[in-house]
Amino acid sequence: MGQHTAGVDRVLRSFGCEVENFAATVNSDSTLTAHHFTDHDQFPVPDLILYQLSTGSPVGEFVLDHPARLVLNYHNITPAEAFDPWEPAVGAELDMARRQLARLVHRASAGIADSHYNAAELTALGLDDVVVAPIIARPSSRLAGDSAARDADTVLFVGRVAPNKRHEDLIKAVALLRSTRPSVHLDLVGAPSSQRYLTALEALVERLDIGDAVTFHGSVPDDALDRHYSTASVYASASEHEGFCVPLIEAMAAGLPIVARDAAAVPETLGDAGVLVPGPDAVAMAFALDRVLGDPTLRQSMVAAGKHRATSYSADHARQAMTDALRPLIEVG
Amino acid sequence: MTDEVDTSNADAGLNIRRVRAEIEAEAEARRRADPELARREREIERVWVDVAPPGAAGEQHELLLDRADRLSMIDVDAPVGARSGVRQVKGAIRKATYWYLRYVTDQINALTNVLTRLLRRMDERLSAVEHAVGMTADDSELAGLIPGPSEGTAAAIAEELGAGQVAVLTSGAGSVVAAATASGVPAYGIDRDPIVILPGVEAGLDLRAVDPLTHLDSVVTGSLGGLVLAGVAETLPLPSIVALCGEAVRCVRPGGKVIVAVANPADRGSVEAELRAGRGLSPAAWVRVLERVGAVARIVPAPGPRITELVVADVS
Repeated sequence: MGQHTAGVDRVLRSFGCEVENFAATVNSDSTLTAHHFTDHDQFPVPDLILYQLSTGSPVGEFVLDHPARLVLNYHNITPAEAFDPWEPAVGAELDMARRQLARLVHRASAGIADSHYNAAELTALGLDDVVVAPIIARPSSRLAGDSAARDADTVLFVGRVAPNKRHEDLIKAVALLRSTRPSVHLDLVGAPSSQRYLTALEALVERLDIGDAVTFHGSVPDDALDRHYSTASVYASASEHEGFCVPLIEAMAAGLPIVARDAAAVPETLGDAGVLVPGPDAVAMAFALDRVLGDPTLRQSMVAAGKHRATSYSADHARQAMTDALRPLIEVG
Repeated sequence: MTDEVDTSNADAGLNIRRVRAEIEAEAEARRRADPELARREREIERVWVDVAPPGAAGEQHELLLDRADRLSMIDVDAPVGARSGVRQVKGAIRKATYWYLRYVTDQINALTNVLTRLLRRMDERLSAVEHAVGMTADDSELAGLIPGPSEGTAAAIAEELGAGQVAVLTSGAGSVVAAATASGVPAYGIDRDPIVILPGVEAGLDLRAVDPLTHLDSVVTGSLGGLVLAGVAETLPLPSIVALCGEAVRCVRPGGKVIVAVANPADRGSVEAELRAGRGLSPAAWVRVLERVGAVARIVPAPGPRITELVVADVS
């Protein structure tokens, strides 16, 4: 979200606005200057608060009580039921986050959502003035790897190791796929959000005896992430809940064909640039991966469609969409 | 930008939808034809149920029963570890308490054994009750038993439709979707069976292999110009039919139409009547149900041969 917030900051300043960023946790190595929200009284009272909302937070309570005009930039909240079996405390927090969202919607005058999927949630809660502007992702500076340099049969997924991402369905698909494609390998990049979930995934890999076919990379720096995008053969996602899914855009920009579960905002972000599979269906996912890995003509058309789709989500386009979304709100102020 | 109409990749888009339909059809066909694949899939699922906490592996009660079976035996042979000294102490404790623990666990194991067997028996009886009242139907047994609407009936349905996107539940191979599309009405079809829809997808129709009963959950209120209920609508029990009609009326905009295209149970052949799940409702009964959920419904003739009347409901 740091890249997106920095992009929004830039857009607001382009209007001539004076902008201050506040957060509950300030990252010292962030390029964006931010202050702890409890220091707000050291700064002029704002005319407008643009609140980046993706979970519950004490900042939300602060915003609820603040008299300034409120606009929500909504990135969706993970459904509590995804975490309940694994981390009940986190599930409870997500439930509270949803309740806080409902209160924020009543307080807000407008909303900006990353996707129509997210916008529908705000509308359902009663917010009428909602526009869609995608996340301002990091510029796609990586080079799409030469097809000859890609590791054949390498499947990549990028995302937090969290129950809603359904890593187990990718692992199951790879276990099935091994019978016909013994060299298939699954690279899972992302830090764990639930140690219990990660432990279960590792146990699943061990019990299925596919330890040589699955690698948990954890969190990696940007250059290592770019290498994964450049060397994989296909990007796969079994996630059951996404409000937008930046890795899909990054994978498309990097020239990867995509196989993804048909869920939440994934079809909207992917469009017709990737193969959607019903979920949870490990057999369908395995067949889809096998088809994409084994059909060069299909891969070529998917890569082309993905690169075309990714251009419409470039940082420049996203900034323009955010500019168009904010302009009427700034002018009203 | 995501709202812009992108025609440059229209061909790629159609190809990818066809690829999806082919993949789903192949997966389903292989599942039905290859017992080894089904066994392997089940085995993998069982492993996940074993390592995941209850509730995390979905509502797969058969696998949970398997897990209950495996967990029902309490083992008194606790591991004693490998560290010297500690191993001897633990081993001595285990030996000294073995007789007592064995006495207690034998009784617990006897009880849990009976309980898990009882759970399986209750599961079997519940499944039998569900089948008897027609709450479940094995699609592979009924494949081909309910033909899709004839071309004439599909055309009659298309004539009744107004403007706005139409959804057909369930579409089969897409005769109604094709007729609607040919008459200029944008339409898509929903059917559980990816094998059945594949010919329609390859012909360029917008057919999707998703569960028809849950599909409507994702449809925005008032977003459809029309909704056609066919196929699966003939197999549902009455409470599900009432709920489906309520959802249908919700999804269709005021001024739109809900059309029911089903065979009158009185006109079914004897084989179909005996093998099909669900009693089915006559057109007159469908009218009553639709009026109950707030629509104004009428019966119009259809050319048959199987569906001789359509129920057309105006949503207000």
